[in-house]
Amino acid sequence: MNVDGALAAIEATRLAASIRESLYLFPFLESLHVVGLTMVFGTIAVLDLRMLGIASIRRPVSRIALDVEQWAWIAFALTAVTGLLMFTTNAGVYYHNTFFRLKMAMLVLAGVNVLVFELTARRSLAQWNTDAKAPFAGRAAATVSLLLWIAIIFMGRWIGFTTTRVTGTKPDPSVNIEDLLPK
Amino acid sequence: MTAFAGWLSQTALSLTIQTHEWVIPTIQSIHIVAIGVALVSAFMIGFRVLGWTGSDQTLAETTARFWPWLVASLGVLLVTGALMVAGEPARELLALSFWLKMILVVVGTTLTWWVSRRGTKPLTILTLLVWVGIIFLGRLIAYDHIWGAWSMSPKA
Repeated sequence: MNVDGALAAIEATRLAASIRESLYLFPFLESLHVVGLTMVFGTIAVLDLRMLGIASIRRPVSRIALDVEQWAWIAFALTAVTGLLMFTTNAGVYYHNTFFRLKMAMLVLAGVNVLVFELTARRSLAQWNTDAKAPFAGRAAATVSLLLWIAIIFMGRWIGFTTTRVTGTKPDPSVNIEDLLPK
Repeated sequence: MTAFAGWLSQTALSLTIQTHEWVIPTIQSIHIVAIGVALVSAFMIGFRVLGWTGSDQTLAETTARFWPWLVASLGVLLVTGALMVAGEPARELLALSFWLKMILVVVGTTLTWWVSRRGTKPLTILTLLVWVGIIFLGRLIAYDHIWGAWSMSPKA
């Protein structure tokens, strides 16, 4: 089966259809997605800012990591599941959307960034754990992480604006709003 | 409110936002980034009260670390939120979700301030739920029709 066939098959599943047809399910999933992604960004930022020497600098890095990493993973799981469910409802459109592709590419890069950090600076964590800021490799990873997650949030919002039918219409400034309202 | 929304939609600021397609998504994205900071700041204080994180420091220390970030992010949220209202007055001001959200923002901020000083555990659970509720209502502004007759939004 080719990609478009597979995407059509995903859209045709009962799961996708029931989310599409429900008045409440898509908004519910989208709200949970925002709860998850804001928590992912916020928790990761706490650790990144610690490594950059900007916040929580009197506490060991390992202690901050212990505080936030589990929440970041739980929130990431929530975001991934809700994101996947939203994807099924309109798989073909999302798959071909430029911002969706950029967002997925950035998520992969964020993963690579974590991996590189784990294999470099984190290995010597014991030596800089209580320093005000991480060595260069750690600060580089923290900066890349912050920039990527902010960019991922921007891409996510642009997916919404470029895939939904309703947002295709621009408000006409010459239209008086009161004419549009029920009398 | 309808008249006010109508007037606001004709102001120079509103027209500028309306006629530049990239402005609203940009403001919304900044708004979401700031929500991340606000939510996690409130959560870190709440989690400390509940003993889930930061047990190596006192609640006062955790509050000193996160309260200023909560206030600063709320400032960013207020400015970006106000710009969204200016850009799409009817969408925001006639949405039930918007007004419920505004009430919960005041409640959530007050509750967080309270628990950060008193450390009341049951109230902390409520506080965390209020912040999640704020995010839900924020997203539901885009889907205000789900409230049916309760929504004041123009039926398109």
